Formats: sequence, structure tokens, C-alpha cells
Amino acid sequence: MAAMSLLLRAAAAWGARRAGSGAAGGFRFPGLAGAARLPGTVAPVRHSSSHGKRMFIIKATSFYDTRFLNLLRFYIFLTGIPLALFITYVNIFIGEAELAEIPEGYIPEYWEYYKHPISRWIARYLLDPPEKNYEKEMALLDIEAKKAELRLMELEARRLMRHRGDGPWYHYETPDKNLTDNSMKSTPDN
Amino acid sequence: MSKDSDWEAYKVPPTRTPVSERTTTVPNPVTFFQTVFHYVVDAPVTFVREWIERQQAKNKFYYYHQKFRRVPDLSECLEGDYLCFFEAEAQWRRDRLVDQEIVEIVRERLGACKQREGPNQLQNCAKEAEQLAQVTKAYQDRYGDLGAHGNARTCLMKQKQRMMEERKAQANASQ
Repeated sequence: MAAMSLLLRAAAAWGARRAGSGAAGGFRFPGLAGAARLPGTVAPVRHSSSHGKRMFIIKATSFYDTRFLNLLRFYIFLTGIPLALFITYVNIFIGEAELAEIPEGYIPEYWEYYKHPISRWIARYLLDPPEKNYEKEMALLDIEAKKAELRLMELEARRLMRHRGDGPWYHYETPDKNLTDNSMKSTPDN
Repeated sequence: MSKDSDWEAYKVPPTRTPVSERTTTVPNPVTFFQTVFHYVVDAPVTFVREWIERQQAKNKFYYYHQKFRRVPDLSECLEGDYLCFFEAEAQWRRDRLVDQEIVEIVRERLGACKQREGPNQLQNCAKEAEQLAQVTKAYQDRYGDLGAHGNARTCLMKQKQRMMEERKAQANASQ
């Protein structure tokens, strides 16, 4: 430890001697800015003019943010760019339909009521015709209406059979009438 | 519903500004800007647009406005006939869309009239303004306060209320 301080002092003296000879010579290393200087000597320091002194700026990490944004951009553009190119191609080279009066005696197909070619394609190949959809909805309504009607009729039948007792429902098991003992009611004086 | 903008519908007649005699030798700077605009913006855009239209003209196809058959109204449906209710409801919704478009067209007419007339719009657009007032009043009477869940049934009930009030007003007026 003591030797270390002696070594450092020798290095400082040697550096100051070199700095002194360097000032006389006129050339200066930019890295030796504050390296080994005796107090009292102020050596002019030359930094590279564009950046200034290099600083180690301490700030919070932006690694995760930039990674997220890069991934977001990548995955959006992965399908977004082909989709945009395809839609541009369709709009320029195929173009939208023109409005026309329905010709006499002609019944247009159900996809011919849309303007954009992609909407027409979707209506033609992916979706059901609106007439079929309509009939499907009406069929569901019909089934549910019939179910509701039958349930109401069942409730009414149950009520009437319970009340009148002349129907096939609401039969309860009763003991055999031959098992009853009528001896306590057989004489009038009991 | 998307709307095709129709340039010809509300076309303003061409202006009849007379050609004026030049009194100075200084050239009009507006013509310079007009020619610059023409060569820098107008001509390229027109060229591109016409090229696109030439590509699209090779295979033309058309679309039509669907015409729906009239089905019995909600007031003509028997009670419990859910299929009739469904069809009447669909027809009522279509009719409401049509009425909304009618109101929109009448509004556009008034707007176009105002734009055309400029300073004397209060005087010259009176017919269109009157028509818009009538149409919006009629729309409000029919579809007005039904709310977001308004359907054919609530609209029919509203009509019934209107008729009852009318009858009451008539009875009060004749007393």
C-alpha cells in the first residue's frame, strides 16, 4: 500500500514531465485530459468538436418498450402489407360496380346488390343468400311458437284433468276397498 | 348506408362574369398560379385517374337497388302469428331507413339551395325550408320518441295514441 502511493507519485511526476515537454512540443493526446497533473498546472483540453465530452447518461431502460413496438410493427405489417396491396390491386384494376336500373324481366342474383367487389365476393361465396337467412330465422320462430303453444295446451290439459278427474292423468293408488273394516260403522250406536 | 356523391344533382349554372378590358400592362399573377397548379397537380392526377378508369372499363359490372315485395302490415297480422310479426317488423325497418334517406335528401336540397343563393337564401329557399320543416315534423310524428329499441309494435302504438288524440281534439272542437 505504501509502495503503491510511491508508485503513483512517481507516475504523476513522470506524467507532469511529459505534459510539460508536450506543451513545448505543441502536440497533445486528447485522452490524457486529466490523467496525471500536478496541482497548479492547467492544461487546455481538446475534445472532438462534434460531440463534446462523452457522458454516461443514466436513464430508465427502454429495451422492453422498443422490443414491444418493434414486435407490434412486425406482426401488424406481416399481414397488413399484403392485405393493403391486395385491396389496392382490387380497387385499381377491378373497381367498384356501377349503379344501374334492374333490366326488364331480369332478377339479379343476391350478390349483385353490393357495390364493392370484395363485398360481392364475400356475399357470393361465404355468406348465405338473404332469402335463406330469412327463412332460417322464420323457421326458428315457427318452432319456438309451436313449442310455446304446446306447452300452454299441456298446462291447460293438466289443469282440467286435475279439476275434473276424468282424464288419464292424476290417477293415485288407493288401497283396495275390500280391505276396509266397516265393523265400527255397522251398528248405529257406536 | 354509403352514398354515391352525385355531382350532377346540385350543379350550379356557369357564372356569366364578363371579360374585362385590361387597364395595366402588369400581367395577372393568378394565371401563373393557375398554370402551375395545372401542370403540377391537375394534369398528373387526371392522367392517373383516367388510366385507372381505362383499367376498370375492361370488365364492367353493375349493382342494383333491391326491390322488396310488400307484405301484410303489423296491423293486418293475427294475434300470435309470429311469422307475420317478423315479416312486418322487417318491412317496418326497411321503411324507416327509406324515410331517413328521404329526410336526408330534403336536407341536402335545402343546403344546396342555400349554397346557390348565397346572400338571398332566406327569401329564395323558402319552399325548400318549408318542405324540410314538414318532412321533419312528419318523421318526428311517426318515428320520433320511440327510442333505440323502437320496433313496429311501439310505432303502431304511437300511431294509435295519435289517432286517439286527434279524435279527442275533434270531439273537443265540435263541442
